[in-house]
Parts: sequence; structure tokens; C-alpha cells
Amino acid sequence: MKKISLLVFLIVILFSMSSMAQYNNLWIPDTLSGTTFNLTIKDTFSQLRTGQQTITGGINNKFWGPTLFVNKGDTVHMNVRNSMNDSTTIHWHGMHLPAVMDGGPHQVIPPGTLWQPYWKINNLAGTYWYHPHLHEMTFEHITKGIGGFIIVRDPQESALALPRKYGIDDIPIALTSRRYDASNQFVLTNTTYGDYMLANGTPNAQVSLPKQYVRLRILNAEIERGYNLGFSDNRTFYIIGNDGGLLNTPVSATRVKLMVGERVEILVNLGANNVGDTLNLKAYNSNQAFGFPGGEAGISGQFGSLLNNVDFTVLHIKVAATTANPITAVPSVLSNNIYWTAADATLSRNLTITGGQAGSNQPFVFDNSAFSLTNINKTVNLNAIEKWTVTNSNVFGHTFHIHDVEFKIVARNGIATSVGDYESGWKDVMYVPRGENVSFVAKFDDYSDSIHPYMYHCHFSNHEDDGMMGQFVVKDNSILPLNLLSFSVIGKGSTVELNWAVANQLDSKAYIIQRSSDGKVWSDLEVINTTDTSNQTNFQAIDYSPMFGINYYRIKFLDKNGDYTYSNVKSIQRKGEEFDCRIYPQPTKSMLNFLFNDPAYQVYYLKVLDKVGRTILMMPRPILSKGLNVSQLPSGIYYLQITDEKTMKTITKQFIKK
Amino acid sequence: MKIRRCIYLLVFLVITLLNQTNVFAQIEKKISNFSLRNVNNKQVSLSDYPSAKGFIIIFTCNHCPFAQLYSGRLNALNKKYSALGVPLIAINSMDSVLYKDETFDLMKIKSKKNKFNFCYLQDASQMVGKDFHATHTPQSFVVWKESGKWIVKYEGAIDDNGEHAKLAHSFIAKAVDELLAGKVVSRPVTESFGCKIFYRKG
Repeated sequence: MKKISLLVFLIVILFSMSSMAQYNNLWIPDTLSGTTFNLTIKDTFSQLRTGQQTITGGINNKFWGPTLFVNKGDTVHMNVRNSMNDSTTIHWHGMHLPAVMDGGPHQVIPPGTLWQPYWKINNLAGTYWYHPHLHEMTFEHITKGIGGFIIVRDPQESALALPRKYGIDDIPIALTSRRYDASNQFVLTNTTYGDYMLANGTPNAQVSLPKQYVRLRILNAEIERGYNLGFSDNRTFYIIGNDGGLLNTPVSATRVKLMVGERVEILVNLGANNVGDTLNLKAYNSNQAFGFPGGEAGISGQFGSLLNNVDFTVLHIKVAATTANPITAVPSVLSNNIYWTAADATLSRNLTITGGQAGSNQPFVFDNSAFSLTNINKTVNLNAIEKWTVTNSNVFGHTFHIHDVEFKIVARNGIATSVGDYESGWKDVMYVPRGENVSFVAKFDDYSDSIHPYMYHCHFSNHEDDGMMGQFVVKDNSILPLNLLSFSVIGKGSTVELNWAVANQLDSKAYIIQRSSDGKVWSDLEVINTTDTSNQTNFQAIDYSPMFGINYYRIKFLDKNGDYTYSNVKSIQRKGEEFDCRIYPQPTKSMLNFLFNDPAYQVYYLKVLDKVGRTILMMPRPILSKGLNVSQLPSGIYYLQITDEKTMKTITKQFIKK
Repeated sequence: MKIRRCIYLLVFLVITLLNQTNVFAQIEKKISNFSLRNVNNKQVSLSDYPSAKGFIIIFTCNHCPFAQLYSGRLNALNKKYSALGVPLIAINSMDSVLYKDETFDLMKIKSKKNKFNFCYLQDASQMVGKDFHATHTPQSFVVWKESGKWIVKYEGAIDDNGEHAKLAHSFIAKAVDELLAGKVVSRPVTESFGCKIFYRKG
């Protein structure tokens, strides 16, 4: 036993010595900014070791992808082209956006296809990321190196005296590790933890940082390993941001645990150092409680690695000269977030981590139910504030990530004060250690879609691929306003009958029936005067000449104070017309125009396919008012698959490109 | 009785010894003859080369960035070894329906552009790729003629450095040299990697 541990000790020393032998400059990802982003996902190769190149995957690059700078409030348009051999998806991790733009397992991008999602940046300034999310292939695609940072800017954060010179005093660092085989290729089977660090895809990374306060945006982009981060001289640093934005006040620390999927923004002062000094950002992963991913003993095999249960360097830092306008202090106040508390939640849900026992064939899943693409696990009401508790009375730690929202962790093991200061901000990933339960509160607002779900899952991509995932839809079951109990429209021959009922006539002055052809411009059809002393509760109105196509109706409630509000909108199609459209001109050289039989159409999805049936273009909620530019397509016959938002009916049309 | 047992033991030992000489080689695959269309529109089969001692078969394609590094080296290999009776044949088993970059027309353009001096065949049905168990591009095989059959003697990477041809040690050249000298291939299998070849179901 002693001989073996001596041998292991010597091997570890040897390896750690060889890895300290030569440093490579940390690759700082290139940046894209503005509102249109072109991302090409490709199979490629990188020189990560001496000798043969390693087959990798990158976005516009040989490994990893560009950092996207976006502004809160802007609507961003993504042009995501999949040039790989395999289908994939790109998920915008942490972004609050419509489910159909989310890039989860349901938005598969086949090889050669262009996907064009767009959404309004609602998130607070912070560090987010994008990465693949194809079911059962996420582990492989993330291992290949596909991913990138998203940095959101907002006026509030920009007004703070924080380091903000990207690549100079504001550095993004993606932490990951890899195991290699004899041909320098990434090992993809029977492995959980890499043997060699890669920071931004750089082996043995070093970076020069100026002699002042610097900001590190650190992401754990691993498969499973957690990082117990600290500096080689144990100096104090300041946590200023969690997954979803700035903390209200900085939290000083000498260690911070960063688990898979999480981001942390820290400030560290190099002002007291001399130019030429060196220090290391390290993972102090030795002697962690059992269940800490990466703490398992063993230097090889499925659950061991050269970096398990040891303290190792993540990034070598060299102190360089101060820059102009350095940051010299940590702001005492960062933000004024008002967080949810457990009391705000109107509904509680519980998830239990089951399975995963050694020797059994059962993978880790939630509630004994493996993920299924066709099964919606939960339905959440739009605008609901819910508390979710994830219980892990199981053998190992996990991280939990939910799409769509940023949440507030409100309790660990039922105790509010057990939630760390370091994780007290808005988050979208939380560490669920072995033997603990963790609760968060989130509001599911703005976006509802009864078809495309959002996901929740363990962010260990191997667990996720094996079924430790579920999905939820956010449904708009909004309560009707102003005591409206019911409102219905029914076609009767060539007329439309509207019926509505109210609970009482409190403050009522008039009901105005309004009609629209497009759901945007409304005209008054009929005014029914009433008084608040009337006992009448049921009302009816008749539209004697509804328009051809879709008629939208709503009731405008006028109260005696002059205030008004609207009912929900009901629609009815004048009989004989189905969702259809005309495409012109045929054939076309550049633009394709759409004439829908109903001018108030809303297209949910549009796909362009070539004559062989390959998907060329995927456009969720496309804006077609100015037509579709097809000038870039080679000449030939193409098909359009158009899905209607209201009925979810899909029609296929053909067009010829000259 | 005793003699019989000795004979059985002897036979067993001989067979084991014979198997031992193949211990470095994996199971030696037999390859069927095939007839595939070349970029010059003519059909090409292994049986078109009655005097060939063997073949270098490279599975490659149009769009894979790693495979694209090897065009020059494939020309060099064919130039040297076809003169020695071991021609090089390149085969594209990528699904041309799934990948619009892999059409026959684009194969013609690539062959012209990279001045291929060897046959570049389209395996439209993917049958040949399946026969070889080709998994990636680029992936190389050396088949040798033995008793009228084609046996795989080497499979794996072309060499050990994709990006830097001058630094590369060619596995395939070494294997062919050893076979031409009547020797056993010292390293019959190396790891294949590159762009995955997806086979259509059925």
C-alpha cells in the first residue's frame, strides 16, 4: 500500500512538474457586438499538445466561440449556422426569452442549416453563456469545445467604477479539463473528469494582468468537476456577481466554489504587488466532503483523474504595469436588486434526485422519471411566482439549472440563513450537495408557449444525456379583468354572436364591442350603455356583417370614472377560409412576398427546405411584412413549411428561385 | 492413447503459436470487390488492377477540414506507390443527401482543384464504407492481395500530424513498405479520428 501511494505521489509530482514547465498565453475570445450575430458551428482541430492535433468543435474558432456583447433592452438577431457533421442545438444559458428561441433539445439544427432566433435582452448586466443542448449528445458536443460567453451590459452596471476593459482588466475565463488518448484525441467514453486543465481552451494558461483591481468572469464549463477557487497566496477577493447579475454589495472571500454551469464575477487587487510578481488562480479541490464532484480518489478510470482530490493551478498570473484609469477600489454598493422571498411564492414544487446507485443500471433522474422529449413534466402559469425545492438524499452532489428565469435561492435544508452570501444574487444554476435540499423562488413572466417547453436539468452533461432532465411549459391562463366571468363568440350563419357575463356591475358605465382584422387596430362596433345600479349580468351583441377571414373581438369596459380596460381577445374565422397564403413572385430572383388570407396572421415557425428535403433555414416567429430575402439561395425548387401561431397548423408551399 | 493426447496437444500448441504471430494484428478483414463511380464518370473496381499487389484506400470527403489537410500527401503517396504496384484510391462515403457539400459534382470540382492524381470514387449507397467499417474522414486502409482475396493489413490514421506535413511520420507508408518487403505490418492499427461518417439506417 505504501509503495503504491509513493508511486502515485511520484507520478503526480512528475505530472505537475511537467505541466509547470511551459505556459501558454490565455486565449481571450474574440468579441462580437451590436444586434446581429453570425455564429458558425464547425468541426475543426486545435494544437493542444505536441504532435498530432486534437479534433475539436468551435464557433467561428478552433475551440470555443466569440464573446457576444449585448445591451439590455436591445433586440438581438442570431444567425446560427451548423457546419458540423452532426445536428446540434445552441442554448442561450441564463437568457430570459421565448421558449421557441431557447435552443434546447427541441430546436434541433440539422447539418448545413441556418437558425435565426431573435429576442429582446431582458437580463441584467452579467456574464452568461451559450452551449449545445442536443439530447444524448450534449456531453460529446461540450467536450468538443462548443460554447461561448455572453456579456450583457446595462446602464446601471456601466455607471459603476468597475474594470471593464475586455482582455486587459476584465477577463472571461472558461474552466474545463480534458483527458487525452495516445493520438491526442479527447476521450469520450468511460470518463467523467479530465486530466489536464484548459482555460479558454488554452493548456497551462498564463495571463498578464495590470497592477490594479482586475475583474475575472469565471465560468465552470466542465462535465462534472467543481472548482473550489482561490489564489495561491490565499488573498482576499471580492465576489461582485452571480449567474444573473451583480450582487447588491460585494462579498469578500478567500475561496468560492464554482460548480458546473455557474458563473462568478470577482474583483481582485493586484495593486499591492510588484510588476513581475506571479501568482496562481487555483482549485483547492483536495479533501472536499464526499459528493464534491472531482473529489473522488483515483487518478484514472471512470471517476478518477490526475486533477481529482488535489490542489491545482487553473491560471498562472503575471503582474504587469498599471494601465491608464485603473480601478483602485471596490464599490461599496453595486446594485439595488429586490429579491423574491419564500413568502412571495404562491405555489411550491418538489423534485427529488433518484437513481444513480452504484452497481444498478439506473442513471440519476428526477422523481424516478427519465427525460422524455414528448412528456411535459410541469405546467406553470404565466406570471406565477413559484418555489422549487430540489432534494438530494442521494449519494452524490449535482448542480440544478432551470431555463427561462433567474431565481433567488431562499433556503438550504429549509433554513434561509444557510444560503451563502456568495450565492445570494440572481442565479440560474445551484449546487445541490449530497444530503441537502435547496429551494429557490422565481417568477415565470413575459413569455408563454403551450407547445415549446423550457428545460430544467442537472448541468452535468453526462447526467443530462442519461435522462436527469425535465421540461415545463409556461401557459397563459390569465384571469379575466373587471369581474368578467366569461366571454365567448360563436358563428351563427353569416353573423357572429358575442356573449359575456359579469359578476356585478360595480362602477360600470358602458361596454364597447370592438373588432379588428389584425389584432392591432381596433374599431368600435357597438356601444352598450349600462349603469352600476343595473342588476343585469349577462349581455349579448351581434355582429351582422363580420369580415371575411379572421375577426378579432374584445370588450372595452368603460367605468363611470372614465377609466377603461379590455377583456381578452376572441377570434372567429368567417366560414370557408383556412390558414393559407399566396407566395409571389413566382419564380423569384431575390424577394419572396407573402399574402396571407388573413392579414392578421402570426407565423409561429417558418422552415425553408431544398428540393431534396434538407432544411436550409429555420426561422422562429419570423417577421415577414417586408418579405423574405432568398437572393443567397442557389437556383432551384424550394419548399416552405409555415406554421400558424393560432392553430399550429402547418402548410407547405413551393417556390422557384431563379 | 498417450500418443493421441500428445498429438492433440501438439496441434493445439501449433495453432496457438500460429495465432500468436498474429497477436499484434487484429482480425484480418476480407474486403469484397466493389464498383464505384469515379469523378471522370467511369466505374472503378479493385479487379481493374490485375497486377496490383495491394491498395491504399482512403476514406475522405469534400468538406471535412481535417481531411482537407491531406490532399498533397495523398497525391505523393499515389505517385510513389502506384509505381510499386500499390495504387491509392479515395472513396467518399458521406451521405450526399444529408450534406449538400458532398454531391458528385462537388467531388469533381475538388478533384480538379486539388489536382488529384488518383481515383476519387463516390460510395453513394455507403456499402463500401460499411464493408470496411470506416468511421471517420480521413481514414486509411491498406489491403493486400492474398490467394485471390483482399485482406486489410493496416487501418487507421494516415500519419501522426495533420497540420504539419513536414513533421509527420506516415503510418501508411511504413505499412506498405513493410508489406512490399514481405514483412508483417508492425503497427497494423492506429486510432482513426476526424469527421464522423454517419450511415443511413437500413
